[in-house]
Amino acid sequence: MLKRELKVNLKSFIIWTVLLIGMFLVVFLVYPSIVNSNNIEMMDEMMKMFPSEMLKAFNMDLSTIDSAFGWLKTEGFIFVLLVVGCYCSILGSTILLKEESDHTIEYLNSLPITRNKIVISKVLCGLFYIVLMIFLLTIFNYIGLSFSGKFDHKQYFLLSITPIFSSIVIFFFCLLLSTFTHKNKRILGMSLGVVFISYILYTLSSLSKEVEFLKYISIFTLADIRHVILNTSINPVMIVMSVILSTLFFILALVRYNKKELL
Amino acid sequence: MGTVLEIKHLTKYYGKVLGVKDLSLSLQSGEIFGFIGPNGAGKSTAIRSIMHLIRKTSGEILINGQSFDKDNTDFKELIGYLPSEIYLYDDLTAKEILDYHETFYKKDIHKRRCELVKRFQLDEKKKIEDLSLGNLKKLGIILAFMHEPKLIILDEATSGLDPIMQQEFYTLLLEEKKRGTTIFYSTHILNEVSKICDRVGMIKDGKLLKIETISELSKKNLVFVTISSKEKEKIKENLKIESIFEDENTIKFKNYLDFNTLLNKLTKYKIDKLLIEEATLEDLFLHDYK
Repeated sequence: MLKRELKVNLKSFIIWTVLLIGMFLVVFLVYPSIVNSNNIEMMDEMMKMFPSEMLKAFNMDLSTIDSAFGWLKTEGFIFVLLVVGCYCSILGSTILLKEESDHTIEYLNSLPITRNKIVISKVLCGLFYIVLMIFLLTIFNYIGLSFSGKFDHKQYFLLSITPIFSSIVIFFFCLLLSTFTHKNKRILGMSLGVVFISYILYTLSSLSKEVEFLKYISIFTLADIRHVILNTSINPVMIVMSVILSTLFFILALVRYNKKELL
Repeated sequence: MGTVLEIKHLTKYYGKVLGVKDLSLSLQSGEIFGFIGPNGAGKSTAIRSIMHLIRKTSGEILINGQSFDKDNTDFKELIGYLPSEIYLYDDLTAKEILDYHETFYKKDIHKRRCELVKRFQLDEKKKIEDLSLGNLKKLGIILAFMHEPKLIILDEATSGLDPIMQQEFYTLLLEEKKRGTTIFYSTHILNEVSKICDRVGMIKDGKLLKIETISELSKKNLVFVTISSKEKEKIKENLKIESIFEDENTIKFKNYLDFNTLLNKLTKYKIDKLLIEEATLEDLFLHDYK
């Protein structure tokens, strides 16, 4: 069953991975000409004009964008968080539900297989593609950065791993959401909403002390990029939180799916 | 003959709407049980509850005397299921879905699969999305039968099949019956029931009305009388008839009188045509429903 799942979800994986890698390819192709021009100084001057809260929201208070790695640390990894987050939300919300919306669940349910096994096969497939996407992106960006000059390898690898913590939680949360409905369309909008609202809350939380609490209700807080840039290490609290939340959502999804009316 | 499937007090409500109420029946080994009822009677709800696609409100399903839990894969290996509408993975060919199906069963079922593919003349190379309704049904039949199940649950199995394939399917059912396979056959095609079933359960508005053997049903002495006469109205009044069909000069009714009394009463009138006919099984079923 896992083999079939991998085949079914391969096409969307390729599309999303090509989208991400294509975007970074453009950056690596364009960045040398930006860096070697006077524009970069102008951009640095322009950045100084932005309020510090705004710069903090994009980690620009910690890093400049005068190199490809600098850009990655600021906008680049936030882009990765968002795009991989969207992929995970769509994957999580449709991987189980597709069987119901396509009515193939009636066939699948008649086979000698438990509902737990159905969920586990689909989860394993989802996790495989999420990890593979981040792995491929890490390799590609590593090659790109190697051509763009010197960079901190350890910090780069740690930053590359960081999106996994939010992405997997998004995947499991959307998987859980999908067990409450039978309609694919309804859940897709809701799942993407979770990603964008989470991102907005995450951005807003860095704008002022008064709204800092918002970060505690944003899934993107789990991908603590600032901590990696500042300490060159992954915040262990976020790893633990990510594992706890993923496990919790996974168990709840299993319980819900076992009670769900499939037609 | 042991009991293969036993349904005890199965009840299913969709919120406040009744699906099935207090359905109890048991199927013996080697029996073909017809489950008939009009649209919306609760046939599919009962089947989906048996298959654990939906959660029953109350009741119990037993297979070979043991409770059939939704995760009991050993029991699931014993069941073949053909839904009324077949939805399979469109991206696969018929061969690929049959190969996929084989991987779920412990025993080697390839030989039986090949026999059935040949018997139903299925083109395995075709993609599922390109299969006609009839060919999709054939594929569904092969999937339901290829693992040699001991209990087969069929929901409107012949819709879409051409008459030759329908006949082939009935022959297959009778062969399976001989092998001791138990078949739960849900349909609204009454003719099918009289052809192949041993017993029949009639369901209406979610409630099981009765279970009868086909031979018991055939013995029922229901007779229809059709009279064509210009004195139709007088006949109707005299015989206190409740017609089941009427036009200008013709009336059809169920006869509850003995034949001598009926004929004596009719001699008073000028009759153009008189037809006395024994009810078919189909008529008997319809009679029970009304």
